[in-house]
Amino acid sequence: MIEQKIVDPDFLFFEALRTSEYITGSEAVREAIKRANLDMAIAYPITPQSESMHLVGDLYAEGYVKEYYRGENEFAVMSAVAGASMGGARVFTATGGPGTMRAFEMFPTWSGARLPIVCAFMTRGINSPLTIQPDNIEMAFLLETGMIMLHAEGSQDLHDMILMAFMVAEKTDVHIPVGVFVDGFFVTHTRTNVNLFPEDCKLPTYNPYDSPVPVMDMENVPIRQMRDPFVMKSNFISYAAHASWQQEVDAAMERSRKYLLHYLGGLIETEHEDADILVVASGTAVSQSREAIRVARDEGIHVGLIKIKSIRPFPREELRALTSRAQAVVVPEFNRTGWLARELCNVINEPRKVVQGPRVFGGMTMPPELILEEIRRSTR
Amino acid sequence: MKTGMLRISPGFDDIMPSEYRELVDNGPYGQGYAIKDLGSFKELLEEHPLCAGCGLALALRLTLASLPAPEDTVVVGSTGCSALAFPQVALHNIHSLFGNQNAVATGLKRALRLRFPDKVKDVVVIAGDGAIADIGLDMVMQSWLRRENLTTIMLDNEAYANTGGQESGMSVQGAVLNMAPKGKNFPKLSLPEIAQASGCAYVASVSPAKPKQLSKAVRRAILVARDTGPTYVQIYSPCPTNYKINSKETISYIKWREREGLYKTTELISQQAQAFLDTIEEKS
Amino acid sequence: MKTATYKVVVGPEGYLPPAAATRGVTLPDTGQAIMEGALVDVDAAMSAIAQKLVSAKNPVFFPGPLILWDWKPGVAEKAIALKSLAEVVGAKIIPMPDYRPKYPMINPAIEVNPNHPNLTIWHNKIDVCLFIGVHCHYANVALKIIRGGTDCYTVALCAEAGHEDAMISLRDSGICELQRLRELVNELKAGRAND
Repeated sequence: MIEQKIVDPDFLFFEALRTSEYITGSEAVREAIKRANLDMAIAYPITPQSESMHLVGDLYAEGYVKEYYRGENEFAVMSAVAGASMGGARVFTATGGPGTMRAFEMFPTWSGARLPIVCAFMTRGINSPLTIQPDNIEMAFLLETGMIMLHAEGSQDLHDMILMAFMVAEKTDVHIPVGVFVDGFFVTHTRTNVNLFPEDCKLPTYNPYDSPVPVMDMENVPIRQMRDPFVMKSNFISYAAHASWQQEVDAAMERSRKYLLHYLGGLIETEHEDADILVVASGTAVSQSREAIRVARDEGIHVGLIKIKSIRPFPREELRALTSRAQAVVVPEFNRTGWLARELCNVINEPRKVVQGPRVFGGMTMPPELILEEIRRSTR
Repeated sequence: MKTGMLRISPGFDDIMPSEYRELVDNGPYGQGYAIKDLGSFKELLEEHPLCAGCGLALALRLTLASLPAPEDTVVVGSTGCSALAFPQVALHNIHSLFGNQNAVATGLKRALRLRFPDKVKDVVVIAGDGAIADIGLDMVMQSWLRRENLTTIMLDNEAYANTGGQESGMSVQGAVLNMAPKGKNFPKLSLPEIAQASGCAYVASVSPAKPKQLSKAVRRAILVARDTGPTYVQIYSPCPTNYKINSKETISYIKWREREGLYKTTELISQQAQAFLDTIEEKS
Repeated sequence: MKTATYKVVVGPEGYLPPAAATRGVTLPDTGQAIMEGALVDVDAAMSAIAQKLVSAKNPVFFPGPLILWDWKPGVAEKAIALKSLAEVVGAKIIPMPDYRPKYPMINPAIEVNPNHPNLTIWHNKIDVCLFIGVHCHYANVALKIIRGGTDCYTVALCAEAGHEDAMISLRDSGICELQRLRELVNELKAGRAND
């Protein structure tokens, strides 16, 4: 293990000299966690995230992660992660597909309990039937859990977002979990050049007493504290307390916007945003869109790209403004339900101009030609 | 708990309600109280909504009074009647969901060990029979198989009491309960034996009818869990409400069950645990 | 239709008021404060707080566990400063010793609880309350309930990032702010005495 020094996250993210390495998505997870000054990681195997957590285990063996073990199922792992976070540790885990479903009850629990957990989701198709191939329908199910959701386009995003996620999650006025999503095998098992932060740097240590709720360690007050009790029993009338609590989690989500703006540079990224036709996408669909847009622009079609990096909180105002001029908005997705198109239709002024697709799912790849067809069709 | 942490700030003594002043002036933190001292100190459990005659409430009070180090104990509970008492307990405690209490406790224990390497933090699971033997059996056993340094204490009222008295794995065969209108058709789980086979270094089955025995078991279990391995204590805590026992007769009901051989007290101690207990009990 | 900036003003707002953060209200940056949903400079906020406290019919301070319990260095001094401020204001102090669901019933004359702070406010007819030393999550839960069902003006002296759901909130607030408020209150009272 090499000696690491704690650095200011702004220095790490914006100034430190990066080195490029040709690595897989799983390896990008390793590189991020190596610099995360992580207390604990808990693992459970499920394709395609197993390799990521193997590598995190190797980091534990090397000394970069202080505690690590394999749990017995995803619900148990996410529960243990909650216990560790309530105890004041910085903790990480990963899952995807059926694993996400198995653990599901814990996700809104994490948010309600104000736990700054970072969890990577390597999405894969949902049973029945079974497929291990990429499909991000699980993101639709997670939209209302109160977790921040960042969608990585590729390994670079995955690497950067994991580290930034800790810094956003741990802010006192945020302090809710962050899910960093990646479209399964497309990223985890493919190699690309990733610009890594210096390996002798690590994030500042998590201070659990910056938490907006007491830490479960018998070293802070109040002592008579349960996380989290049946509030409806308080004076027998506290239904408003539950409602107010839910609203507070929502508020925490809104507060995260300014930190996401600071670290990620924005909840979205745009290219040729003044174009007549816009392709709006997140995750791997952005990569495929880039190729389609390149060809379309060579053909003289005025088309631009909006890459959405943050699904929750959703960049409502940005999208409303950016899509107001466009004549057509194409939304390619790697899922059947079109959750991104639906989110977009909820916020833009003219939902009719949204092209609901192209969509592929169940592990199918999305040839750029599919997107190109929709772009060309939109010109007519 | 850092020494002197539980102090009322200057100038606020006169406005703090009495239950807090009592906790500071006469609480059990760092005092080494035991059940023999009950009645002379401020108990950890404040006024709670459990029924008159509740065996669970009594078992909980005795358990809390038996903690070797309440000042450094964090409890992980689960949904059930005990979850209605725990907000009123003056210890940090976590309400897990239901069944995942041992998984939560595992994460918590390991985190506390990282953050306080030079201090002992006892993590104790206290939950009902539904949470431990049914919905949570998998995760409870896995924490034992992993040899986590946890104490698991079951408040066994042989039913899902808080939801209206449904049959649980710990109900006796033949008991007619909700969701078992024709009587339960499989035997009460023998969890002490399962605990031992799964790696628990110390296992006991007790009841509040014998408070000293209960207290000794809880104390032993927590001390053994510190370094030797996981431990399990099962406390028979009858529910007068769901079993239609007169609330004044909970203790005599327990005694009757024991006389009839329908509830057995046990103690299963591994060699390693026995050696450990011999050294510490010799000293005291 | 852009979301109009919400005004965090005294209630009763109604059945379930929204969280101000979800209506476009943002927390202040370091060196700023927030007043009725708008970002202001700290001095303006402090003057307004002093003004509210002095003109209140029944101002009450709600200290939370982080200041009620002398649990770490620096708390005792802060507690003394708070008590001193309460004395010059003439404010009663009703503690929030913890956040647990109260069983069987809260005694609203002597306690406040984040699950139903409205009970304490109604019972004592509090028109201005001041939160300090309360964990941010519980303060936020309480502040919305107060705005919904009461006409109490809320002030939060937050040691962290501040509270959008309070009518006036400082951030990074500590003993200095308490001492400054005491000065401001004294000045106001002296001014009034001379009227």
